[in-house]
Amino acid sequence: MKRIAFNLMAWTIVLVTAFPLIWMVITSVKPQFELFRIPPTFWPEEITFEHYRRLLWETPFLLFMRNSLILSFSTTVLVVGVATLGAHSLVRFRYPGRERLAQLVLFTYLLPSVVLILPLYLMMVWLGVANSLLSLVIAYTSFALPYALWLLRSFMQGIPDDLESAALVDGATRMEAFFDVILPQALPGIISTSLFTFILSWNEYLYALVLVNTDSARPLTTGVMSMLVSSFNIEWSLLMAASVMMSVPLIIIFAVLQKYLTRGFGAGGVKG
Amino acid sequence: MSAAEVTFTRVRKAFGDAVAVKGLDLSIRPGEFVSLLGPSGCGKTTTLRMLAGLEFPTSGEISIGGRVVNDVAPGKRDIAMVFQSYALYPHMTVGENIAYPLKKQGMAKAERATHVARIAAMLKLEALLDRKPRQLSGGQQQRVALGRALVRSPKVFLLDEPLSNLDAKLRAHMRAELIELHRTLGRTFVYVTHDQLEAMTMSDRIAVMEGGELRQFAPPREVYDRPANLFVAGFIGTPPMNTLPGSFADGVYTHPAITVRFAVTGAGSKVVLGVRPEDVLIGQGPYRATVRVVEPTGHETIVMLDAGGSPLTARTPAESTLNPGDVVSFALRAERLHLFDATSEARLDARAMSVEESV
Ligand SMILES: Nc1ncnc2c1ncn2[C@@H]1O[C@H](COP(=O)(O)OP(=O)(O)O)[C@@H](O)[C@H]1O
Ligand SMILES: [Mg+2]
Repeated sequence: MKRIAFNLMAWTIVLVTAFPLIWMVITSVKPQFELFRIPPTFWPEEITFEHYRRLLWETPFLLFMRNSLILSFSTTVLVVGVATLGAHSLVRFRYPGRERLAQLVLFTYLLPSVVLILPLYLMMVWLGVANSLLSLVIAYTSFALPYALWLLRSFMQGIPDDLESAALVDGATRMEAFFDVILPQALPGIISTSLFTFILSWNEYLYALVLVNTDSARPLTTGVMSMLVSSFNIEWSLLMAASVMMSVPLIIIFAVLQKYLTRGFGAGGVKG
Repeated sequence: MSAAEVTFTRVRKAFGDAVAVKGLDLSIRPGEFVSLLGPSGCGKTTTLRMLAGLEFPTSGEISIGGRVVNDVAPGKRDIAMVFQSYALYPHMTVGENIAYPLKKQGMAKAERATHVARIAAMLKLEALLDRKPRQLSGGQQQRVALGRALVRSPKVFLLDEPLSNLDAKLRAHMRAELIELHRTLGRTFVYVTHDQLEAMTMSDRIAVMEGGELRQFAPPREVYDRPANLFVAGFIGTPPMNTLPGSFADGVYTHPAITVRFAVTGAGSKVVLGVRPEDVLIGQGPYRATVRVVEPTGHETIVMLDAGGSPLTARTPAESTLNPGDVVSFALRAERLHLFDATSEARLDARAMSVEESV
């Protein structure tokens, strides 16, 4: 009896959470004329993929998609690459000011992003990369890196020193010890940090809005908005179709990486 | 490819302000089994890690097989190490763990497999080769760590408290295995432990350390029979040696309950008498003491006495019928008494002439 009540509650929460998503999918396949019917229909009377076709072939949607993919992948690779090496250094090497450095990194994360936009924009202009995907990669790195560094640092603190020492005694160079032993141990942490960075870049709106104003460098978030939402009209069908397609890469990535996220946690051949 | 000698010359290691090893001089012979023994925090692990090349000495020189290795990378020192935590690579199977040092030497896969098979047979790990370390018991993990060290046949084996995470029964068994291993391999073993039983049973010589300093370096028998100073005297032996501070004049040691005449040169006026509990003979003799606590252990009984205000521990046969409060007579085995200078804490070269009537 208690179990049934519990299940019922769980499903209610799932439904409430998922309803906007379901509505999004349904709306995207409804013919335009059915959208504003009163009373509204839940199941479409007729299913159409017309909106998807228009979105893909008659709008710059694919260009935005390409931009977003390049942007998010580059940011993720850059951030996770630097953060992995940086976290390893913060954990393993002894040098003056190491702790201070780690705290300073966190401090940058505390500044509200609105405060940083203008200085960043001016720096991009000065660097000559304003209004490009590269400027967004740099901007996203500036706020994703500190967090990634901290996340990975705490992961790497959990890896026993002795593992690396053992590899060194067994004849590995420092680099080999890092790749053979540290990296596999840090993999779950690296994957969750990658995921975090990717989602952050994929959904980012504010910086993209301010730093980029040509279609050729716009990511999906600002691209879709400027394309479909004007002061006179909102193209609901296209907007919903675009939203569905924006979610697809995230869903694929989650599906692929899920098993890595849960695997390997708490494993270890080290006792005492 | 044989055993190598190991030498520490005035080796010092400081971590910032904290000095972990203070000027260590130690010379280990080829093929010798040497234990570094001392309480926790005395610098044993630091010493071993410097020998492995995992820590750089602040000053001084370390050599292996006559070659100064201060600037040699750990992997190039021809050593192998067993860590207290075992440090098995969690993502590799047992077989891959054991093969890893060979892989880093660039050995071909087929050849690696024969070596791994040989080691697995020797350590009875054949059935476990495809398991991951976390699927093994503590004892099995320990054997894998040993296997990974053995596979390369290095010149020097370094072991950092390898048995401390095993239960008592397995520990006794592994002690015997290690002795056997050392005998068959004939390589130099440097073994870190805080367990005097391990050091006493396995070593050719024991290096007793305290606070980053070497206190004595001698065979087990000598460390026990002729401790070089009060620290070694108190650290080796269970129950520990009784140490009775007293005064010394004209060759006579005087304590409220005990008087002994010594043949000695160069003793100051303040000395400490050392008596092993088995050298306190309860029953008859010139001295008196009061029984405080009686602890039967089964094969013997430990009796704690009050001798003239000083605590004194004695080992007696199991059938002892003493009770707290009893006043007993006792004697000391004169030829086995130790005398230390109270200030320098160093052993005095003294020989007891007679155990005298107490005043
Ligand atoms: N990496 C380190 N940083 C600072 N102090 C250390 C470090 N390693 C060891 N020490 C200090 O050096 C001393 C000796 O340590 P250690 O060699 O591990 O002792 P043992 O192995 O005999 O228990 C201890 O006081 C310890 O706190
Ligand atoms: Mg230690």
